[in-house]
Formats: sequence, structure tokens, C-alpha cells
Amino acid sequence: MASDKSSTLTANEKRILLALNKVKSAGPQKLAAESGLQIDAAMQAAFLLAKKGLANIVEETIVLYSPTPEGELYARQGLPELRILAYAEGKPTPLIELKDAFSDKEISIALGWLKRKGLASIEKKGKEVIITPLKTHKKDPQEEVLRYLLAHHPETLTSYPSATIQELLGRDLIRCTERTSRVIAITNEGRKLARKGIEIEEDIGQLTPDLIRSGEWKKKPLRPYDIHAPSTRIFAAKKHPYQRLLDEMRQICLEMGFEEIKGNHIQASFWNFDALFQPQDHPAREMQDTFYLDSKGKLPGEYVQNVKEMHEHGGDIGSTGWGGHWSEELAKTNVLRTHTTAITIKYLADNPNPPVKAFCIGRVYRREAIDATHLPEFEQLEGVVMDEGVSFKNLLGCLVEFYHRVGFKDVRFRPGYFPYTEPSVEPEVYVPELGWIELGGAGIFRQEVTAPLGIEHPVLAWGLGVGRLAMLRLGLRDLRDIYAPDIDWLRRYPACQL
Amino acid sequence: MPVITLQYDDLKKLVGTDKDTILKHIPMIGADIERIEDTYADIEFFPDRPDLFSVEGVARAMRGFLGLETGLRKYDIRKSNISITIEKSVKPIRPCLACAVVRGLHFNSASIESLMALQEDLHWGLGRNRKKVSIGVHDISKVKPPFVYKAVDPNTEFVPLDFDKKMSMRAILKEHPKGVRFAHMLEGANRYPLIVDSGDNVLSFPPIINGTLTAVTEETTDMFIEVTGMDASVAMALNIVVTALAERGAKIESVEIISDGKSAFTPDISPTSRELSIGEVNSLLGLTLDAKQIARELEKMRFGATVKGDAIEVAIPAYRADILHNWDLIEDVAIGYGFDKFKPELPETATIGRAHPIEDRLALLREIMVGLGFLEVTTFTLTNERVHFDMMKRTQANVTKVKHPISEEHTMIRCTILPNLMGVLSRNKHVEMPQKIFEVGDVIVDSKDMQKLAGVSTHSTANFAEVKSVVESILGELSLEYEIAESNDPAFLEGRRASILIKGKIIGVFGEIHPDVILNFSLDHPVAAFEMEIC
Repeated sequence: MASDKSSTLTANEKRILLALNKVKSAGPQKLAAESGLQIDAAMQAAFLLAKKGLANIVEETIVLYSPTPEGELYARQGLPELRILAYAEGKPTPLIELKDAFSDKEISIALGWLKRKGLASIEKKGKEVIITPLKTHKKDPQEEVLRYLLAHHPETLTSYPSATIQELLGRDLIRCTERTSRVIAITNEGRKLARKGIEIEEDIGQLTPDLIRSGEWKKKPLRPYDIHAPSTRIFAAKKHPYQRLLDEMRQICLEMGFEEIKGNHIQASFWNFDALFQPQDHPAREMQDTFYLDSKGKLPGEYVQNVKEMHEHGGDIGSTGWGGHWSEELAKTNVLRTHTTAITIKYLADNPNPPVKAFCIGRVYRREAIDATHLPEFEQLEGVVMDEGVSFKNLLGCLVEFYHRVGFKDVRFRPGYFPYTEPSVEPEVYVPELGWIELGGAGIFRQEVTAPLGIEHPVLAWGLGVGRLAMLRLGLRDLRDIYAPDIDWLRRYPACQL
Repeated sequence: MPVITLQYDDLKKLVGTDKDTILKHIPMIGADIERIEDTYADIEFFPDRPDLFSVEGVARAMRGFLGLETGLRKYDIRKSNISITIEKSVKPIRPCLACAVVRGLHFNSASIESLMALQEDLHWGLGRNRKKVSIGVHDISKVKPPFVYKAVDPNTEFVPLDFDKKMSMRAILKEHPKGVRFAHMLEGANRYPLIVDSGDNVLSFPPIINGTLTAVTEETTDMFIEVTGMDASVAMALNIVVTALAERGAKIESVEIISDGKSAFTPDISPTSRELSIGEVNSLLGLTLDAKQIARELEKMRFGATVKGDAIEVAIPAYRADILHNWDLIEDVAIGYGFDKFKPELPETATIGRAHPIEDRLALLREIMVGLGFLEVTTFTLTNERVHFDMMKRTQANVTKVKHPISEEHTMIRCTILPNLMGVLSRNKHVEMPQKIFEVGDVIVDSKDMQKLAGVSTHSTANFAEVKSVVESILGELSLEYEIAESNDPAFLEGRRASILIKGKIIGVFGEIHPDVILNFSLDHPVAAFEMEIC
């Protein structure tokens, strides 16, 4: 039997068996070194041996930990609760005193952990909060782990208590990745076979031009592959999934007969706000919501007087306007565009003859604090249709068609409010897991917007923030992930998941 | 946007139907349901409809929308024989004033709260945070008319709301929480506005705080309401408040406003009028309604509507702040008709789609880069000088800075993409090597948009030769004629860096990133990189 088996082994299998016989068990790297084979070839052979019952392959998943940037910081500086404990020097200390030496964030982190670790008591005395140290600072298990990881990461933490590891993960001070490793060991049967002596007869691993030309390949055994042996994972270079989504949106607009337009990120307030009949004292124009720049833009002379009249008293279209004084200086102030409508309205002013169907996908800016669903910059998509006799019913028609193509079968409409459209509408789409959700906004440009620019026919307009769609389509929970790329995530995200 | 809390008991009483019917239809008049609880719902209304910022106003609208009571709501108004004089002294500071008396109120804690919430929402919306409009409500039994609105010495003292001792107006601006918050509106003024009664008792210090004397409590049955501000929107705010109170059965009385020896009476709650043609309604909405139907929809929205041949005369209630133009009425016709009843129809407009050449170019570059084995990344265009220049060893250039950055991270718009890619490598230093990434996108140079392409490759043997192959391959695919020349870009290593020139103009740079820069980004592997303008 044994000799039968030996004769069916390929040369590489024999090399691995001999190597295993020597070391008993090994990981892929060691096995490759011992056998003189490449890792891939060594593993191929090991899997074949395993199939024949001559070797065992045990898969072992190990968890590797690395510190997060915050964790690295604390590994260097010390954890906030320990630093505060040291600062208090064993004496009861009012919270207010800490404010000079520590940030609010550090204090709020420290208070929770001082209590939880039993390092100090925290009491309210009148209006003051007093921190009384209960222990002097000894070795802190969390800090030990952080310092160890700072020097060694990524590394396993098998010798540290799992409670500490869980705490650090919970504090977002360390993160973990899993790595699967394999250990190959020789079986008793394998050892018996090896002891009998194995003679390595050269077989063909890699076909070469020489072997093909000479016909030599026919004379030697061709080593078979174990087709089920795992392959080395390689990653295709590809477009960002979010870009794929933007491309899809762009393709839909082009197929629907829209012309793509582009414009500058820096816009005078005139195009971003005034031309859209946003009153100059409107809250959206305040510093809190818009990124203003130091520079001033040029005003389009031909429209300035009309826009001024429209704001001040409603021009000659039977509008009341906003009243008050409209300032040219304010209109010149440059901003980072807060919506792509600044681009579409200028395009319509430059192309007032019907029909116009145009769309714009571009980065827009809002002065918002960053969190999972708010970013200071994101892509907006906007489409406009201007033609003689187009109506609200047609606007709804465009929206239904667009959302169908994006993949939402059911679309419904609710009244909405946007400062420059009337009527305005909020489309909602049905998502099986979530129910009806609001997606984008639409309306017909007010005459106060179109008339001063010489646009004589109704303009149907709709827009949406692509981020919201990205969250639905890419399964993102945090919009920041789009703009702070995780290479590993990008490599593993299938191109056709979208 | 204002979120209004609607208590079901109150709402049911005011509308006259069950809560489920109301909640089902409320989004269709223009509202977002924020939260539904056991006893109340929070509803967000749009900023152009301040008349819906109270439960009374919502009930009035819903009665119409549900067909329970349609058409123009009429309110009785009587004269109160109370007057208030506007002195010249206050005109340069806060010139406009509208007042009313409301009698026969039956407050409880909930309805007082609702009135305070309405006031706050009006301050925010119509009032632009009290700048244009601020409202004061007073228990009239505590004071003796006639009243005077004037500007006084900042040392004038009275007891403000929420305090129990006299304070000077100057001190209020420094110490009272409301004073601190709104003091900026009186900056530069050397006299402050004040409303007093015939015995010099203080009602209010507009737009900051009321006196404690006239505070409204559950015992208050008769109220004096004053609205001060900068323009005619004071009248609108007053109309919204008094008509909301009248919805609960209170009686509205007018006040004589005396100014420059002339007298006028507020509030004026007579409707204004507009003529709407059937043609303009149907052509904007894409419907074929007749005059009667249009009138019916308008009446559901609480307008008065009289058919006159091919037109409809519309009476607009004095509490509607959003009707600037006929299209505002047409939107209400559509809402009355029901957005859910429209049959969406694509426009017949025939056009041919056309891509923008720059976007096509970017798509081509993505294809080339992916073909060369580079993974695409996307990053913010907002960045800061430290990352953009200092960490790159580059000298600061003239860039687009934002005036009020929200954090130190985002103070300017990028003029190059390479620092962002270094940032991406820095965040991904534990990810398997080799890493090859690129980004193509907008940058701003000299205040103008421009597109650039940048790529980096990092692994233990990344070098100049590798990136030169990449750059030449890209330029070759683009069929561009180019020259390579020595570069002095300090982000790269001397002797291992080069400029790309097209027709003698530098359009890009490539080479090995300087080890100082690599360390600045907390990296340790060699980085070969390039960046070029898109042409």
C-alpha cells in the first residue's frame, strides 16, 4: 500500500513530506523554507498531501490588534483619567480646576473611567463637582496594553485579560483585524511512508517554453493541482464604489436626454442666492451655514437691475418682492457654492431659448459640523427642464422616471418648501427595509427667479444629495467613510454590489 | 425649521375629528411628522407658513383641508379705546409697532406654553431671530393705558422677567441671559427702546425682555400684545398671534397707534385680494380644472374664492405670510387638489443627451489608472495649510481660504491632490502592501476650478523608475507630446524627481517622496508619486 502511495506522490509532495517528517509541523513560511519551494507551491503540495491522509492542515484564526490614533496618543501621554489622577496628587480637587490643564473632552472621558475603575469618587458639593482620589496610580491594565501595542502592532494580545481588551475596543482606542493562519502537521501514515524512504523523481510543476518546444513535457509526469486548494487573494484595482454610483446617475441623466453642465466651486452670492430670490437677510445666508470667502465676484451687469427690482418690489410680474433695500455689495461676496443650483440658474440665464434639459453633478459646501450624516462637502445632483408649456405634472413625470431608473419602483409626492420653487414637492421612495423615505426635492422655479434673467418658460427642477443615496445603495452607515478611504474596505467591496 | 407639538386632546377639540384622520392627512398640507407619541405628535412645518406654528393655526388649516369648514375664516374686531404713542426718539432704533388687545382668554399651562412656543417660532422665522420682529404679551390688568413707546437712557431701571430685583437696562444686557443673547441688536445705540404705561410702569424692553409686572399667568384673561420691529412684518406677526388666540374664542380689539400726530388702528385683519385666471392655474399644474373646482380647492385651503368668468377673485387671509405671487396660490390649489391625485407624465420635450468633455476626460483617466493597477479613492477638497504645505515641505501658496472655518482641519480648498493621498496612506499604513491609489478631481488654483490627477505607490521597493513608467504610460495613452525636466519640488527627493512639461509649460511632477515627508505622515515605506493637471 505504502509504496503505491509513494509512487503517486508528485515531486513537490515528496519534498513537503520529507520536510514535515523533519519538523513535524510548520506554518506555510517555514514549510516553504524547509522544502525549498515557493509558499504557493508548498501549500499546493500540502493540501494534496492532506487529501491523501498524509498531512493535517489546521486553520487557526488569530486576532491582531492595533491602536487607533486616539489610542496612540494615550499610549504616549497616558490615559486622561490617569493623568487627572496624577494631577490631583491624592487631594480632593474641584472639577473647575482641571479645566486649565485638560480639555472638556478629556475631562468627560476621565470622569466616567475614574468612577468605573474605582480610582476616585465624584461628588457634587453645592455648585461644585469634587474629585476625590481613592487610590494612588499603580499599573493600569489598559495603559499597559496600549503601550505594548504602540511598540508592537499589529500583534496578538493572548497574554492580556479579555475584559481589558473589550474595554479598549469599547473606548475606540484599539481596533482588531482577523488573520487566518494554517499549521501543517504530518500524520502517522505520512511518517510511516517517509520512514520507508522516498525517492524524489523530477516532475513538471511549471510548463516552460523549453518544455513545450522540446516535447520534454510528454516524458515527465505533470504535477496535478488540487483545484480546491485555496488561492492567494489578489485585489482588482477599480473605481471607487461611490464614483460608480455617480457614474450611474450621470448615465441615467444622459439617457434621459439631459446635457451635462459644470461650473466653478467659487460663486458670487449673486448666483448662489440673489438670482434664486433668496432674500439678503435669509438665515441660510448667514455665516453659520455658508462658507464665505474674502474675495468678491463680478456681477453680470445685464441682470443686476432686474434682480434688484425683483427683490425690492417684485418687478413687473405681480409679485410683492421682499421689500427693503437690495445691496449690490452683498451680492458680490464670494461663497463656496452651497448648491449646484448656482450652476443651473446661470446656465439657464445664458441659454434662455427653449428647450433646455440640463443636469449637473458636483461638490457643494455647507458649513456644518461633521458627523455620520452631515459633511461640510458632498455631491449634489440637479436636473432642469425648461420648455414651453411644461407643467407640474411633467415635473412629477420626470421624477418618477428618474427614480425608477435609479431602482426605486414606488415613488410618491408630498408638498415641500424650497425658497426658489413654487409649487415645491418632496419625493419619497419606498425602500423595503426602511419604508417610505424622503429623497431629494423638486419644484418649478418661481417667476421671481426666472423673469429677471429673461427666462420666459417654466423651469422644472429637481435635486438630491447623492450621499443619502450612497448610504442606501452602498450600505454605508457613516458618510465620512466615502471621503476617508479605507483601502482594505475598497479592495474587498465587490464592483457589482452596487 | 419649527417643530410644533400637537396635543391630541386639544387638536381633536379644535379640529372636530379623530386624531388618526388628522395625522394621516397632515403631511399632505406640507409638513414632516417628526415623532408620534401616545398623547402628542411633533410636526415640522415649513418656514414660509408661520400661521401653522401653533395648534390653533394647524386646526384652522386642517378643518379646511378635511372639508369640515372651508372658505375664508372671519374674525370680529372691536375698538378697545386703548392707545399707544410712538415717540420720535425710538424711530432710528426700532421704528415699527403693531398692537392689539385680546380679551376673554382661558389659559391653562398647556395653552400658555403653546403661546410662548408660537412667539419663539415667529421670532425665529418672520423675526429673523428678533431682528425684524419681536413680540411681547402682557396681562393688561396690571397696567394703566395709554401706553408710550420711546427710547430712554440705558440707566433706566425695572424688574425684568425671571429676576426679582430692579436692574438697569445696561445691566440687563450684560447679566440677564436674554440680554446677553440679544445685546448685539442694540450695539451702538445710546438710548434703548422701552414701552411704559401712564404711570411709567415698564411693560417691555424690546426686543430683549418684558417686565415682570405684566407677566402672563393662568389667571390672565385680558392681554395687551405689542409687536416691534424694523418693517411691515410686525403687522403680519400680530395677525398670526391674534387670529390664533381667536380660534379659542378670545375677542380681538384694536389699539390706536399714534405717531407724528397721526393715528392708525392695528391689527388690520381684512383679507387682501388677487385675481387668478383658470388658464394660468391649469397650464402651470398640467390639469384641466374648471373655475368651480379651482374655487373649491382654494376654499379648502381657507381662501375666499369668487368665480368671475374665466377668473377667480381670491381673498387672502391676513395671517398668510407666503402669498407673494399668483403661483403661491396655484401651489395651494395643487395641495387642495391633492399631490397624490396627479398623474405624472413625462414632458414631450425632445432633446439629445450630451456629456461634458471634462467629465468624459476624467472617466478616461479613471479607466487608464485602473488599468495600471491603481485603486481609486475620494477625499475632501477642504483641507488645511499644515497638511497641504508644511507636512509636504512645500512653501505656502496663495490659496482659497474660508472665512469662518468650522475646525482647524478645514481652513482652505486644496490646490493639489497629492497631500490628500499621503493622508490616505497614513490612515491605511497597516493595510497589506503594495498600496497603489489615485484620485482625479477638482482643485482650485487662483480662484478657478481645475482638474488634477494624482497617484501614489508605496511598498518596500517603490522608486523613481516605477513612477516614471506609470507617468509615461498615462501620457502615452493620452497621445500627449511631453518633455521631462529636472524639478525642484521639495516634497520629492533631489535627484529622484522630475517635472512634466507640455509645450514648455510645467503641468506636473513625479518622483520619490522625500523621507521627511514620509515621516511627517507617520509612514515608513518608500512612496513613489505623481500629480498632473488634466489636459
